[in-house]
Amino acid sequence: MKVGVGWPGKGFWTELFPALIMAAILVAIYFILPSKMMAAEILIMAIPTLAFILLLGYTGLLNFGTGSLFAVGAYTAGILLARHNVHILLAITAGVVMSGIISIIMGYFCIKRGGLIFALLTLAFNQLIWFIVWQWKSLTGGPDGIWGIKRGSLDLAIFSVNLKPTFNFYIFVLICFVLLFILVRRLIESPFGKVLMGMRESELRATAIGYNPETYKWIAFVIGGLICGLGGTLFALHQEYVGEHLANWFTSGEFAIMALLGGTFVLHGALIGSGVFIFLADFLNRFPILSKAGAWLLILGAIFIVVVMFFRGGIYGGAEKLYERFRKK
Amino acid sequence: MINIDAILAQVFNGIQFGVLIALLATGLSLIFGMLGIINFAHGSLYMLGAYFVWTCAQMLPLPGNFWLGLVLTLPLMALVGLIIERFLLHRMYGQPVVYQILITFGLLLVIQQGVALIYGTVPLPLGMPRYFEGEINLGLLRYPVYRLFTMILGLAIISCLWFFIERSALGAIIRASAEDPETAKTLGINTRTVYTWTFALGSALAGLGGGLHAPMIGGLQHTTGTEILLISFIVVVIGGMGSIRGALLGGIILGVVRGLAGVFWAPASDFVMFAAMGIILMIRPQGLLGRGGTR
Repeated sequence: MKVGVGWPGKGFWTELFPALIMAAILVAIYFILPSKMMAAEILIMAIPTLAFILLLGYTGLLNFGTGSLFAVGAYTAGILLARHNVHILLAITAGVVMSGIISIIMGYFCIKRGGLIFALLTLAFNQLIWFIVWQWKSLTGGPDGIWGIKRGSLDLAIFSVNLKPTFNFYIFVLICFVLLFILVRRLIESPFGKVLMGMRESELRATAIGYNPETYKWIAFVIGGLICGLGGTLFALHQEYVGEHLANWFTSGEFAIMALLGGTFVLHGALIGSGVFIFLADFLNRFPILSKAGAWLLILGAIFIVVVMFFRGGIYGGAEKLYERFRKK
Repeated sequence: MINIDAILAQVFNGIQFGVLIALLATGLSLIFGMLGIINFAHGSLYMLGAYFVWTCAQMLPLPGNFWLGLVLTLPLMALVGLIIERFLLHRMYGQPVVYQILITFGLLLVIQQGVALIYGTVPLPLGMPRYFEGEINLGLLRYPVYRLFTMILGLAIISCLWFFIERSALGAIIRASAEDPETAKTLGINTRTVYTWTFALGSALAGLGGGLHAPMIGGLQHTTGTEILLISFIVVVIGGMGSIRGALLGGIILGVVRGLAGVFWAPASDFVMFAAMGIILMIRPQGLLGRGGTR
């Protein structure tokens, strides 16, 4: 796998240039997409998918708890914004921190058992959080969710931006996403990231060299949780509503589908996957037959099975193979 | 004041629910022990079984058609399991387990939404089968006949299954293929065929569980299987992977604890399941009757 090859000493600025290109493409995509709301949603959903890829593709952990951590971020930010009228950046920070705290606890219990039990335990924790969200009506609104989240103006010391217009909010999400993307890239190329990948390949060897896999997995899990939390807070701002379905394990499943569609061995897979997923969902839902009874999910599920069976690298991996075959000729 | 009858009724309900869950959990556990995967589509197979029985009971204007449906679910769901294993999972052996799990998740979506497409999303109620509507006097309490019947039938099936797996020659082949596939292969066992049939067996059990449960679910929905799937996962973790008795014990413990917690404080019934799982994992990571060793 060519991914992740790069020297840790590489400077921040060499990362920035491709990131700027990515940002420019993303701005252009905003104008191409059929629905303007969709653009921000694609970026936001790509954030937890990024966390899923970091855990599955780079660390080898199948995390089915991403949905609940996403929801924790969304609820924290949503409650703070709707009921306490705090600064947007403070709400986002609080959401991320809250998800971090929850994922520290969750990670402590789940990391102890590897492989399948890990997947099961994260799933169980995910549903536990969903039950809490469902039952704690005074805090979360239970089945009603949280309404009245205000996406007002973002006041910084020097200037203030109104986030209400879709485009302004999109740019805000874009900045968050690109910064996060650079950060995660740096993380993967750092010695820490190399240890994670080493553990993915052979946990025994990593242990023999002297790394403690539990600690590393735990840290990776918490980093994933923080990322999911960020996605959740932005999602709360985007929808201006938070519902309990976010915490359900099906949300985790959706992130898994996005990750696999895009490609789990490369960070760009998150963006491609969430883009294709949301675009396909929107496209399929335009047909009345398919939107009825959620038949679009059936098609997505079938596509997902095919991808998992035959195109393990997802769309990114497939494109890479095609490109290489083309170059050889 | 909580009366003793309510508690006793909940204990019975808990045992009955636990036995039904054990039907699913044994299948999950067998599939796990054999293929080393957790089957997300197991709940969908349960749901398919329930829908099949519903269809039989509603569509055919015969008196005994519920029972006919129930009997037919076994071969039908075994066939479904056979197809799933042959065409999907069979091609995935030797590849990372994570992808095999994800395939079953995709399968869950396909089955669930396929059912939603055919039957719609409106809950479909199924009445109790004839002669099983009433209650029976057990001396201490009056208990619904049908629930008592499912409890006894479930226990009988699980006992037969235990006997089959642990005592019969075929069962020995299954256990051998699960524990040491390499040696089993050298002894001339076609482990792949064993895998296929084990998956079919697990599917049939899940379908039967769904069919038996169908009259007790308020209304069948395409999402019916998802909650039960989660509960059976927890039961498998509690009881210990690959243990039939563990699945039964875990199911009954979980069912009773869940029912009793509901008597005292309704929202607690769901929390205690997770609490029970957490506690058992802390004390005995391999589960109550697990054979030890982690995969």
